[in-house]
Amino acid sequence: MNDFTILMHLLSKKVNKYQIGATKEEIIKTLNINNKNESVFFQNFIIQLSNYLRPLGLQIRFNPLGSRWYIAFEMATSDLIFANPFEGKPRLAATLFYVLICCLRNMGIGKIHEIEKLRNKKTVLDDLKELRKRGYIEIDNDLGQVKMTPLIGYQLDLNKLFIKLALKLRQEKQ
Amino acid sequence: MGESKDFSEEINRNIEEIQMKVLSGEIALLDLELVPIFENIKDKLDIGNINRYSLAFKKAFQLLAEKFEELKILISNLDKKEGFFQYLKSNPDDSEIQKILNGCWIKPFNIESLSLNFLSSSKEKLSKGKGYSITIEHVDKVITKHNFLLEVPEQKFTEKIMSFYNNIKNKFPCSFEEIFANEQDQIKIYENFVYLLHLLQMGKIKYQKETNFLYI
Repeated sequence: MNDFTILMHLLSKKVNKYQIGATKEEIIKTLNINNKNESVFFQNFIIQLSNYLRPLGLQIRFNPLGSRWYIAFEMATSDLIFANPFEGKPRLAATLFYVLICCLRNMGIGKIHEIEKLRNKKTVLDDLKELRKRGYIEIDNDLGQVKMTPLIGYQLDLNKLFIKLALKLRQEKQ
Repeated sequence: MGESKDFSEEINRNIEEIQMKVLSGEIALLDLELVPIFENIKDKLDIGNINRYSLAFKKAFQLLAEKFEELKILISNLDKKEGFFQYLKSNPDDSEIQKILNGCWIKPFNIESLSLNFLSSSKEKLSKGKGYSITIEHVDKVITKHNFLLEVPEQKFTEKIMSFYNNIKNKFPCSFEEIFANEQDQIKIYENFVYLLHLLQMGKIKYQKETNFLYI
């Protein structure tokens, strides 16, 4: 077993229902990197493993919501392998999108009534329950609010999404 | 070989035109595809025209940097004005949102059953059993009527070593110098030295460093 075997294990393991992979600190600790240049060693390990994985159609990614590094199939192949977890459920995907925007606007917490108002629906509770069941959100009924789990950060390229959205809004503005 | 036509001026002119249009507000860089410009430079570039085309590349890169700046400004402006939130207020259709989400989905690769023991044993399996073990066999002596470039030694290497050993064994104990004292041929001295090293390694001959003496 070598360092890459351990790294492969760390990055492909499921931590819990919402989390995959490992944080930078966990990786450094597990690989026993005791060096003042630990960040450089860490980057090198990630880059080298990434080079090994690329021919297999895999890539190493970082989830900003969970601060974890993990392995994913390359975006180019994601259409072929059923990457969209909301296939055939556009309503649920749209509700998640509203939740995402509301939560990111308010430090990760979104008010249910605000989501309903924006969504222009009498209630979105059924959708929210389904999203909770799938592990994307936690619902606080007492406070009437939802909190995002890091799960969506593993399944959705947030950078790409916001750039796409920004370009779309710009087009509409023109 | 004829000299290839110089397109660098044309590319430079094209870039300058784009810059003028951007400055006059006629076009926005975000709407402009820069890949064809870079492809064009790449296709036309060779060792002979690298000096002229490097200027075109520099200008195209400047254009790309400006495009990035434009994108950065756009995103930060949207963030400030809560543009995304405003978009949601416009009550877009579910299918429209689906379209935005398309192409952004990622399929994580995680194997819950992958244990360190499994990985370790897989590595063991992979690292052994590949290929065949190498066996070294002595070449048979053959007699041929024709001239053949490959000269097969008359004796096997081990036989040569033992023959050398039998020749020198009565000299022991003695120094290194005494072993080669009567030998004038430099090549032969090298050859015998190699045999001597082998004999030392085999333990047939021993060497005492303090006295510089070889003995059996």
